[in-house]
Amino acid sequence: MAAVRDIRAGLRVRGKAAARQLGAMRAGVRSQGLEALRERVATLEDEVQECRQLQLRLAELTDVVEELLLPVAQRDEERLGALLETYSRGL
Amino acid sequence: MPEAPPSATVTAVRVDDEGVRARSEDEVVLDVLFDGRRIWSFWLQRDGEPSGGGYLVRWPPALRRFLDGTTRLRLVEHVSGATAFDADVRLGTGGDRIAVVNERGLPLGIDKSLRLAQTFDTRSAEHVAPLLDSIEEVLGALHTAGVEAFPAYGTLLGAVRGGRLIGHDSDADLGYVSEHSHPVDVVRESFRLQRALADMGYRITRYSGAAFKVDVVEADGSVRGLDVFGGFLAGGHLHLMGEIRTPYRRDQIFPLGRTTLEGRELPAPADTDAFLTATYGPSWRVPDPAYHFETPVSTHRRLNGWFRGTRVRRESWDRTYSRLPRTPPPIVPSPFARWVRRQERGRVTTVVDIGCGQAVDDLWLARRGVSVVGLDYALRGSDAVAALAAQEQVDLELRHLNLCELRSVLTEGARLARLPGRTVVTVRHVAEATDRVGRRHLWRACEMALRGGGRLYVEVLVGRGDDEFAAEQHLRPLPLRTVVAELEARGATVVSRRQRRVSSPGSRAGHRIGRLVVEWQR
Repeated sequence: MAAVRDIRAGLRVRGKAAARQLGAMRAGVRSQGLEALRERVATLEDEVQECRQLQLRLAELTDVVEELLLPVAQRDEERLGALLETYSRGL
Repeated sequence: MPEAPPSATVTAVRVDDEGVRARSEDEVVLDVLFDGRRIWSFWLQRDGEPSGGGYLVRWPPALRRFLDGTTRLRLVEHVSGATAFDADVRLGTGGDRIAVVNERGLPLGIDKSLRLAQTFDTRSAEHVAPLLDSIEEVLGALHTAGVEAFPAYGTLLGAVRGGRLIGHDSDADLGYVSEHSHPVDVVRESFRLQRALADMGYRITRYSGAAFKVDVVEADGSVRGLDVFGGFLAGGHLHLMGEIRTPYRRDQIFPLGRTTLEGRELPAPADTDAFLTATYGPSWRVPDPAYHFETPVSTHRRLNGWFRGTRVRRESWDRTYSRLPRTPPPIVPSPFARWVRRQERGRVTTVVDIGCGQAVDDLWLARRGVSVVGLDYALRGSDAVAALAAQEQVDLELRHLNLCELRSVLTEGARLARLPGRTVVTVRHVAEATDRVGRRHLWRACEMALRGGGRLYVEVLVGRGDDEFAAEQHLRPLPLRTVVAELEARGATVVSRRQRRVSSPGSRAGHRIGRLVVEWQR
C-alpha cells in the first residue's frame, strides 16, 4: 500500500509540475502573441504615417504641374524660363 | 498700488545660482520679477525637481548668462498676486544690477517656450501699435488672397480675455480655417496663399505644408514675423496647425465674429469660447504664463504626417548662422573645392554648389572665373559673402533650395537643366545633413541638373572620428556604400570613390570622409 501511496504522491507532484509547465507555456504563447500584435500595430502605424506623408508630396507635385505645365504645353520657351524664376521666388 | 498679500501656499523659498527652491502642497504658477519686472514664469511642481521636501526649478539656460550680479527678486503667485518671496539677492560673483536686456538695451523676458524675447509686458502702447498695424495688414492681405483669417492662439486669448496682448507673449499668431477638407487641397491652398502674398511683396518663410511666417517691415525698418496657421474641418473635427485636433462644428467658426485687441476691431471665430477651449482647454480663462501644450500623440502624428517634414535640422542652422559676425569669413577654400577644381582643369562652365552654407568655396571659385550657383535652404549663412560677391561683381548667384520640399527641388532642377555649357554639381556634407527624403530629393536635383552631361562631386562624413566636426556641421555619418547604392538606384555611374581620414586644422584629432565622382552616362 505504501508503494501505491508513493506512486500516487509522485504522480500528483509530476501532474502539478506538468500543469505548471502547461500554464507557463500558455502564458508564453499569450505574451508572444501580444508582442507580435504590438509589433504589428507599430508597423501599421508606420505605414499609415507613410500614407499621410504622400499628401504633401501629391500637393507639391500637383502645384508644380499646374503652374508649369501650361507654358510647356504652349511651347512658350520665354514664358517658361520666366515662370521657373517667379515660381522659385514664390516658394 | 496696494500692498501685495503674502503667499499662504508657497513657503521655504530660497534663490541661488542653481535656481528657485520652494515648497507648496498645491501646484502653483509663479512669476519671477527682477527689480519689479517679470522675467520668467514657471509651474512649481511640473517644472521643478523634488529637492529638500520642496522643489528646485532650475534657471532656464537662456537666462543663465545674465545671472551675475544683484537684483531685488520677487516671487509672485501669478493668479492671486500673492508674494512668496521679496528680497535682494546676489547671483554669481558680479556686483552690478542684473539687466536682462538685448544688445540694444531693450528689456527681455523668458517666453512660454523658454526663449528670451521682447515680451509685450515690456512694451508700451506706442510700441505695440506697429504690431497691430501688421496684424491688420496681413489679415487684409490674406482676405485679398481668398481666406478669412483671424488672430489665433495667444493673440486671440489676449483679445477675448481682456482686450489686450498677453504680457508674457512675444509674437502674434493668425489662423484660418480652409473651405477644403482634404489635406492635399489644404496644402495647395497654402502654397497659393504664399504665392499671392509674395506677389504683394511680402517675404515668406514656410514652416510646413500648412503654416508659414509673413515678414512685415515696420515703419522704423525692423522686421516682424507673423505666423499664419492653416486649418480645416474634416470628419467632424477641426484641425489647426500646429497643435489642434478636436471635435468641432462649422458654425463654431463661420460666419466669423468680431473681437477687440488693444482697441482695434478684428475678426474672430464665431464661438471664441469653443475655439479657446479647443486651443487651451476649458481653463483658458485662468492666466498661465508658463502654459505648455499637451497635444495628444495622435494629433501630432496626424499633423506631422500630413504637413510637416519640410524643415529638417533647419533650426540648428538658423541658430548657427544667427551667431555669425556680419563681416565675411576668410575666403579660404576647402580641400574639396581645390580637389574639384583640379579634377575639372578649367573645363567647367558652371559649378552648382548644393548646400553652399557660407558660400566661401563658391566665391573662391567665382573669383577664378567660374560661373557659380550656390543653393541652400538657410541662405542667411551666405549673406556676408553675397554682399562681397556683389561688390566684386563676380559671377556668383545664391539661391534658395529646400531639399525637403519636392516643388523646390523640381523647379530648381529644371532651372539647372537649362544651364548652358558643362555643369559640375558639388555636394559637400549635405547627404549626411538631411534625412532619407531629403537625400532622395538631393539626388533627383543632381540628376536633373546633369541631364545634359557634366559631373557630380560628393564629399560625405563616413566616420565621426574624435574631433568636433560632426557636431559643428550638424552631421550624422553616413556609410559611403549607402550613398553609392542610392545614386546607382537613380541610374548614376560612380566613376571613382575613396575614403580617408582628415585632421582638423592645427590638431591631431580628425574624422573620416568619403569622396565620389559621379556621372549619368547616357
